[in-house]
Amino acid sequence: MSPSRHRHPLWTRAFHGFNLVVFLVMAASGLQIYNAHPVFGGRGGATVPELFTLGGWLAGGRDWHFGFMGLCALNLGLWIALLIQRRRDRLAQSSDLATLNASSNLARRRLAAHRLIYTLMLVLLAFALMTGLAMYKPAQFWWLSGLFSFGELFGATSWHTLRVAHLATIPAIAFLTLAHATLSWRVGGWRLWRSMLA
Amino acid sequence: MNERLEALLQGKGKVPEFRRDQVDPAALLVNSFNGVPRLDPARYRLRVDGLVRQPLQLNLADLAALPQHEITIRHVCVEGWAAIVCWSGVRLADVLALAGFSSLGGYVAIESADQFFTTWDIASALHPQTLLATGMNGAPLPVANGAPLRLASPIKLGYKLSKWVTGLEVISSLDPLRRGTWEDNGYEWFAGL
Repeated sequence: MSPSRHRHPLWTRAFHGFNLVVFLVMAASGLQIYNAHPVFGGRGGATVPELFTLGGWLAGGRDWHFGFMGLCALNLGLWIALLIQRRRDRLAQSSDLATLNASSNLARRRLAAHRLIYTLMLVLLAFALMTGLAMYKPAQFWWLSGLFSFGELFGATSWHTLRVAHLATIPAIAFLTLAHATLSWRVGGWRLWRSMLA
Repeated sequence: MNERLEALLQGKGKVPEFRRDQVDPAALLVNSFNGVPRLDPARYRLRVDGLVRQPLQLNLADLAALPQHEITIRHVCVEGWAAIVCWSGVRLADVLALAGFSSLGGYVAIESADQFFTTWDIASALHPQTLLATGMNGAPLPVANGAPLRLASPIKLGYKLSKWVTGLEVISSLDPLRRGTWEDNGYEWFAGL
């Protein structure tokens, strides 16, 4: 192990580890809540196997979900603030799209795609928080919940639209996480992974 | 601490209501804890006591004589489903005021004919959209939905909105072992929306 080996700053590494935990807890406790009244099918709809849920029953699932919601929001807010203050250049910019469109340099294309994906992950996490909050406190945040009335155009209540949108953040974030891991491997290989893990 | 924070966030203002044509009767599911009690409307009395100047026994005519209100709101169940419902009836605040509730009473305990029990913070009970409903979607309240009298409010989860309400007691503090049928089983007590 060379002494000059690159390591990401502690806060970056802590964020990665913590976020993985938060995502797993939020997804598992969210699926517990899902099971109380499946978004698809309602009463009698197919439920998620207990193995993938957290909390034991609805009240426990809600406690985990809303407990970690605060941590998740704090974590995301702090991360975005730090990024903007210290590493603004690392976030995706419109030039990344241009690179993807025009560049024939494979390494540059990968880096651009990588930046786009992890920036999108931040946006998606914010979206998950927003849709969750709109259902957790629909009376306080009536304006936020009201934004989702666009579903009425297609015959879905704003509530159903919210539930589907919130649930969809699980596969979306899982997919982006996979893409993020793959691309970081392509960009930096084992060296980059190791610099993030330890 | 959490209770005070939630109460602070909740605000005292009215929650914007929905249009009548957004009411979806099929979306309102019925959860019952202990069957469906049938109360004789002629013999029905709502008991109001505890920290009040004037304990009351109100019949349905007494309630009908109070100012009537209508709210079209989203009824949200802890299970995750929700339904837009139009409720009509009297304000819980008007009933409590009629009994002259004491400012020492921080909570209201609500008893139902099916032994269901819950407790509310007084601020939520006094909210202008917290009703003791006798009507639903323009018709008399069906028995399955809590006739003759049930709670309806846009600011609390469904398990706080007791059906077949028979008694209101203004109390000064909560018994930690008896906060409510569901609350004592692990559901959140404040349950604000």
